[in-house]
Amino acid sequence: MTSFPPRRWAALALLGVATLLPLVVRDAFVLDSLILILMWGALSAAWNVAGGYAGQVSLGHAAFFGIGAYSTALMTARFQQSPWLGLLLGVVLSIVAGGVIGYLSNRLRGPYFALSTIAFSQVLLILASRWRGFTAGSEGIPVPFRRGFWTLGLSHVAWVYVALGVALIYYGVEAWLESSRLGYQLAGVREDEDAAEALGIASRRLKIHAVTLSAAMTSVGGTLWAQYVGFVDPFYVFSIDLSIRFALNTIIGGMGTALGPFLGSILITSLETYLRATFSGLKTGFAGTYLVIYGTALILVVRFAPEGLTGLADRLGAWRARADA
Amino acid sequence: MDSARRLGRAQIDVLAQLGVSTVLLGGIYALIAVGLTLIFGIMRVVNFAHGEFLMLGMYAAFWAYDLAALDPYLVLLGAIPLFFAVGLLTYVLVMRGVIHASHNAQIFTTVGLSIALQNVALVVWTGDFRTLRPWHSSVVIRVLGTAFNLSQVVAFAIAVALTLALFAFMKWTHSGRVMRATAQDHDAATLMGIDTDRVYRLTFAIGIACVGAAGVLVSPLYAVYPTAGLQFVLLAYVVVVLGGLGDMVGAMLGSLIVAAVEVLGSYVFGVAWKEVFYFVLFIAVLVFRPAGLFGQRGAETLGV
Amino acid sequence: MLTLEGVTKRFGGLTAVRAVSLDVRRGDLLGIIGPNGAGKTTLFNVIAGYYRADGGRVVFEGRDVGGRPPHAICRLGLTRTFQLVKPFGNLSVADNVMIGALTRLGSVRAARLEAERVVETCGLAPHAGARARALPIGLRKRLEVARALATRPRLLLLDEVMAGLTPSELAGIVELIRRLHADGLTLIVIEHIMAAMMRLAERIVVLHHGEAIAEGTPGEVARDRRVIDAYLGEEFVLAQA
Repeated sequence: MTSFPPRRWAALALLGVATLLPLVVRDAFVLDSLILILMWGALSAAWNVAGGYAGQVSLGHAAFFGIGAYSTALMTARFQQSPWLGLLLGVVLSIVAGGVIGYLSNRLRGPYFALSTIAFSQVLLILASRWRGFTAGSEGIPVPFRRGFWTLGLSHVAWVYVALGVALIYYGVEAWLESSRLGYQLAGVREDEDAAEALGIASRRLKIHAVTLSAAMTSVGGTLWAQYVGFVDPFYVFSIDLSIRFALNTIIGGMGTALGPFLGSILITSLETYLRATFSGLKTGFAGTYLVIYGTALILVVRFAPEGLTGLADRLGAWRARADA
Repeated sequence: MDSARRLGRAQIDVLAQLGVSTVLLGGIYALIAVGLTLIFGIMRVVNFAHGEFLMLGMYAAFWAYDLAALDPYLVLLGAIPLFFAVGLLTYVLVMRGVIHASHNAQIFTTVGLSIALQNVALVVWTGDFRTLRPWHSSVVIRVLGTAFNLSQVVAFAIAVALTLALFAFMKWTHSGRVMRATAQDHDAATLMGIDTDRVYRLTFAIGIACVGAAGVLVSPLYAVYPTAGLQFVLLAYVVVVLGGLGDMVGAMLGSLIVAAVEVLGSYVFGVAWKEVFYFVLFIAVLVFRPAGLFGQRGAETLGV
Repeated sequence: MLTLEGVTKRFGGLTAVRAVSLDVRRGDLLGIIGPNGAGKTTLFNVIAGYYRADGGRVVFEGRDVGGRPPHAICRLGLTRTFQLVKPFGNLSVADNVMIGALTRLGSVRAARLEAERVVETCGLAPHAGARARALPIGLRKRLEVARALATRPRLLLLDEVMAGLTPSELAGIVELIRRLHADGLTLIVIEHIMAAMMRLAERIVVLHHGEAIAEGTPGEVARDRRVIDAYLGEEFVLAQA
């Protein structure tokens, strides 16, 4: 493949927009939206490593997000240390927790695995919300804001570039995965584990590696999110809704593709932001409306476009190529 | 045995109360779980939206009481056919399209359904906690040093009756036998001329009718709000995994075990920590006995 | 090359494979036949590491491979195919084969070249870009063989690659197996239908109720009383031979 595929062009265009936007627009609302799109995109990309590439669909990835968020919140608020130490701690803890989940993925398949990941994140939620002495329990922890790069007390513009940097690294990891030996072997494991084993692929080890990598990437996202938002609420950071969000962005964008999670995030996060702005006056709030759309979209995408937006684009491209010929 | 002899009157009362609480709670859990396990056993689909139908049942009872002063037990008569129809409709509109798709497609479809239903409730009825207090929820029954309110006892009795009715249906009716045959071997059932689409439709409708009925029954006992189903459905997952996914008798036993863990856990460690026990139990069972405490090994890795 | 010594596999009360011993030498083309449920696939599963034997030993090139996971056995040079084909359905034929090639080759580029060669050998070149799940069954069986070949096995286990094929597909795959054998590959071929096997294999082992009841050349096996009894009611199959 020497030609530069259209998806890479699309990614490059998005990168250009995200890089230039903060130079032109200083509106906090727009920048906040951009940061969230990038963060949710990166987090969905992290989920994609396990769910999309290795086929291990977790509905408990909030566990790793929460680990990352709590690591930095506790490290900064309780121990007055650098959030970067919190990031490191979160990654280490998530690698351990990811190993546990990876082990589960070797014993359980399909819905059994999904159920076990939900249970895992629920256990962490209960620990975080009930262990008052250490985590401040259900009240949550405010993350102190100290201006500066090493304390991650950044301006909106700076946050755009931090989030963009992470998004770019995650995209790069997956673009590499798509054309590497490891990526092809993971695809084999995802498609049929027994067949992959017969062809000499150590499927169990590979799955654990993928889930662990995915967990560490999610944890980094959790740390950055906590630093950006400035507050860690156990019922949010460990919620099933959050786990599902990572999965949904990816499915809507296209599982097992580098661009998919970001496309999904652009669509879903913008929709959320738009509806939040539109319905903010109403008593019931925006949340319901956008989630109804979200849930319905998920059902429709799974049914009619199981390969997501990237798959749709491919089909459209193929159709146009045939029409041209 | 030494400690047993030292048990005084008060401790025996506590034990009796705990025991009866377990059974009452277990009966209701069983009705929730039996629908979930039925759907899994026959359709091989884990219904992640199961809790939302419970929530809808609770709202149905709440509004009937609030607007028309209808007693939940009266509402139940209408709710069972109503939720049967809701189940049919859901199957035709949502589930049929993915019944032969991958596990992941099925997981995401029911998850999507769960999100949509939860938030329709949020938009339409707001996130307020609502309670309904029919007269029987404040009538206390005292037997042999134990105390319960009437709603709890009646809910239990009806839940057990409905569960037993379902068992009888599965065992003695033609449709029930056809459903069990399909559960055992889908391909063979198809070859024998069984219309599996009809079986799935019926299965899903019955499963939803069960959980909708359970929602009506628990409405006088728990607050009603859009995510009310979540706590129950998490429990129901534990129950069906303990009992072995797809195993109806196992679901009954699993319900009692979970209820016992909940009742004892709350009593010994406080309400705050009880959930940890059943989630740990849940993961442990998944890892060490994935086909359930009473089931045969292998189902989970065959990816049924 | 491969030696089985009294291999036994039980499932609960059922003994699927009972004390099977056999010896495969380099360059052999051994056929294993037997009626449905005779334990043929179970035997493959034991050899390839999917099941752990309850008794006996499996020795491949001097190493006892009992208890090793399937991927490790594949890397030793023993690859199997599946009776119920297991293609990587969403990937192209070329990618399917390339994943096999990646087991021996570190670079994707080299594996792609190798895959092209194997796809050509197996007559799949016109379908290289097609999605595996879109192939008709005859070609999917070929893909099983191609993918296994790409791992560069020294011993290849083929599990009913001829079942369910049309006569022309059958002729094609028999020709392919002959060619691979002529090029020096050692093969064990499982087949339910004796007819094709009679023309292909040099030596045949007959399994019945998990036991090896006969071994010999196709001619010897076909005349064996116990074999004929085992296949009673399926004599037409023999008659075709």
